[in-house]
Amino acid sequence: MLDLQKENEIAIKVSGIKKNFTVGGREIPILYGIDFEIKKGEFVLLVGPSGCGKSTLLHIIYGLEAPTEGTVYIGGEDEWAFSKNWRANFRNDNIGFIPQQPFWIKSLTVIENIAIPAVIAGKTFHEGIKIAAKLIELVGMSEWSNHRPYDLSGGQQQRIALARSLLLDPKFLIADEPTGNLDQKAGEQLMELLQNISQRFQITILMVTHNTEQYKFGTRIIQMVDGKIISDTLNKHSYQAIKDDLNLSENSNEAKKSK
Amino acid sequence: MKIVQLFQKFSPRLFKKKEEVKHMRMSSVLLIGYRNIAINRTRSLLTIGGVSIGIGVITFLISLGFGVQAMVIRDVTKNNPTDIIDVSNENLENFVVLNNETIGKIKNIPGVKSVEVSADVGGKFINGEAQTDAILYGVTPGYVTLSNMNIEGISAGDFTASAGIVVTPRLAAMLGFEKPQDALGREVEYTAVVTKDIVDPNAENPAEQTSKKVKIVGIISDQSKTDAVYAYTMLETLKTQYNITAGQRGKILIGNIEKIDLVRAQVEQLGLVTESVVDTVNDINSFFSIVRIVLIVFGTIIMSISAMGMMNTLSVSLLQRTKEVGILKALGAKRTDIFKMFIFEAILISFSGGAIGLLGGYGVAKGLNAIVNLVSKRYGISAADFVLVPNIFIIAIVTFIVVLGISTGLFPARRASKIHALEALRYE
Repeated sequence: MLDLQKENEIAIKVSGIKKNFTVGGREIPILYGIDFEIKKGEFVLLVGPSGCGKSTLLHIIYGLEAPTEGTVYIGGEDEWAFSKNWRANFRNDNIGFIPQQPFWIKSLTVIENIAIPAVIAGKTFHEGIKIAAKLIELVGMSEWSNHRPYDLSGGQQQRIALARSLLLDPKFLIADEPTGNLDQKAGEQLMELLQNISQRFQITILMVTHNTEQYKFGTRIIQMVDGKIISDTLNKHSYQAIKDDLNLSENSNEAKKSK
Repeated sequence: MKIVQLFQKFSPRLFKKKEEVKHMRMSSVLLIGYRNIAINRTRSLLTIGGVSIGIGVITFLISLGFGVQAMVIRDVTKNNPTDIIDVSNENLENFVVLNNETIGKIKNIPGVKSVEVSADVGGKFINGEAQTDAILYGVTPGYVTLSNMNIEGISAGDFTASAGIVVTPRLAAMLGFEKPQDALGREVEYTAVVTKDIVDPNAENPAEQTSKKVKIVGIISDQSKTDAVYAYTMLETLKTQYNITAGQRGKILIGNIEKIDLVRAQVEQLGLVTESVVDTVNDINSFFSIVRIVLIVFGTIIMSISAMGMMNTLSVSLLQRTKEVGILKALGAKRTDIFKMFIFEAILISFSGGAIGLLGGYGVAKGLNAIVNLVSKRYGISAADFVLVPNIFIIAIVTFIVVLGISTGLFPARRASKIHALEALRYE
C-alpha cells in the first residue's frame, strides 16, 4: 500500500540511463548510469557545467534522444518501450516543453503559435486558440496576441513559450535553459512566473540551468558533472522544501509517538 | 512459441498495446500551408506566376489547336454530312455507270438507306452572242437534298419539280448577265455531248445532240462555288431530252454509320470509286494530332522550367523552416503531418498557378477570337469560333496540376518529414 502510494507520488523515474555517442567510429560515453526520481509538484533544477550531459539527459527524458541503456518512466509508463509516434503523442499529451530558443511557426501569430500543441493533437486552430487565450492572459501577454512571435523580445518570447507548453494541461514541464538567452531581469521574471505556476497548479518542473542565481527558485537541485550525478539535495531556501521538511519532521514525530 | 518469446524479450516495443496515433487535421495543415505562401508573398507570387504562365501558354495553344481543328471539320462537314458516301466511276480500269442495275445492287447492300444519281453532261451554253462550255449535272431529287444545295430564286422543292436549270453566278456572268439575278427566268440554249454509256440502251429514239432551250430558274448561292462554272437540272429532264437514265456519280445515304466502311468496300467491289468526308476529317485529325504533339513537347519544356522553379521554392522554404519542422516534431507532430504540410503547400502552389493559367490562357484565346471576329466582320467575313477547350483537356490539366504538385513537393516533403526534432533544438 505504501509502495503504491509512493509510486503515485512519482512523476518521473529515471532508471540506469547511459548514453554513448559515436564520433569518428569511437564510442564516447556521455552519461554513466543516471538514476533519480522526481515527485509530483517538485521544481527540480538540473545544474552542472557545460558538456556534462544535462541537455542530453533532458532530451532522453523528453523522448527525443534514445538512451544507450536504461529507461525513463513517466506517470508509470516506460517511455522507451513504445514507438516514435507513441512518444510523440505522449509528449504532446503529458509534457510541456520550453527550449532555450523558443522556435516559432513564422507565418502564424503569437496566439496561433500557442495553440500549436492542440493543433498537433488533432484539434482545430479555433479550438486551440480558445484555450490559448486563457494562457496568454496567465503569462500577461494578451495584448501581443496578434503579433508575429519574432517581433517580441527574448523575455516576451519565453513567456509565450511557457504559455505554449501549458496549453494541453501537461503533467509536468521540461525547460532547457529557458533563461539562457535572457538578461538578468527578464530571466528573474520568467523564473518567478515558473515558480508561481508550479505552486499554483502543482505542476512538476524539471529545468536545466547554469545560473546559480536561479537556484533559489527550485525545490530540489540535482548537480551533474561529467555524466554523473554528484549531488541531489532539497533546496533549503525554497518554500516547498521547507514545507516538505516540516512534513517529514511531523511524520517522524508521529512515528516516534506511536512507538 | 519459443521464437515469439525470444522476440518479445528482445523487442518488447513490438508487443505493446495498440497505439492510437493522433494526426493534425487537414484544415490545419492547409491553413499553415496557405499562411506560409501568404507570408512569403514575392517568392510565392513568382512561383505561382511561373506555373500559371506555363499552364496558360499550354491552354492558349491547345485551345487554339482544338478550336481551329473543330472549325475546319465543321466547315468541311457542313455540306457533306459524314453519313453520305460519294461514288463515282473515275476508276478507268473498270468503267461502270450508275444505271438501274448498279443502283439496285447498291441498294441491296446492308446499311444503305438510299442512292441518288448525278449524270454529268458536257456541252455548250449559248445566250445570244455569249457562249461557254460547262457541265450540266442531271440529278435526282434526293441528290439535291443530300447535297444541301443553296439555291437563290427558287426553293429546292420547286426546283426538283421543274424542268429548268440552276446555274452558278460565274456561269450566269459568262452568259452575259450583269448580275446573276438577271438570269432568273431567262431561256438559254444548251447543246449536250452525250456519251452512250449513260443513255437508255432500250430507248426507241436515240439521243439527239441538238441544242435545246432551257430556262434558268435559280442561282447556286454557295460562297465556295462562286467561281465554278456549271449548272444543275433534274435527271428526269435529261431523260426526256436526251434519254439519259444513268449517271457517272452519286450519293449513298447510310442508315447505320457504323457500317460505312463495309458499304464502301462493297461499293468499290462493283468497280466504283468511293469518297467520304470521313477521309478528309481523318486527314485533318491526323494533321492536328501532329500539331498537338509539337504543342505537347513545347508545353513539356515550359512546364519543366516551371516545375524546377517550384522545386527550388519548396527546397528554399524547407531550408528556412528546418527549425519550424523541428519544434513541431518536438511538440508531438508526426512524420506524416510534416509530409502533408509540405506536399499540400506544393499542391496549393501548383493548383493556384494552374487555375490562374487555365482561366488566363482560355481568356486570352477567347479575347483573341473576339478581336479576330471583330476585324473580319469589318471585311464582311462571317464570324467563326476557333477556341475550344475540351473537357478531356481540363481533366488532363487538373490531373497534371495535382501530379506536378505531388512530384515537385514529394522530395522536399520527404526530406522535411525526416528532419529530427533535435536539429531544431540545437543551439546556434
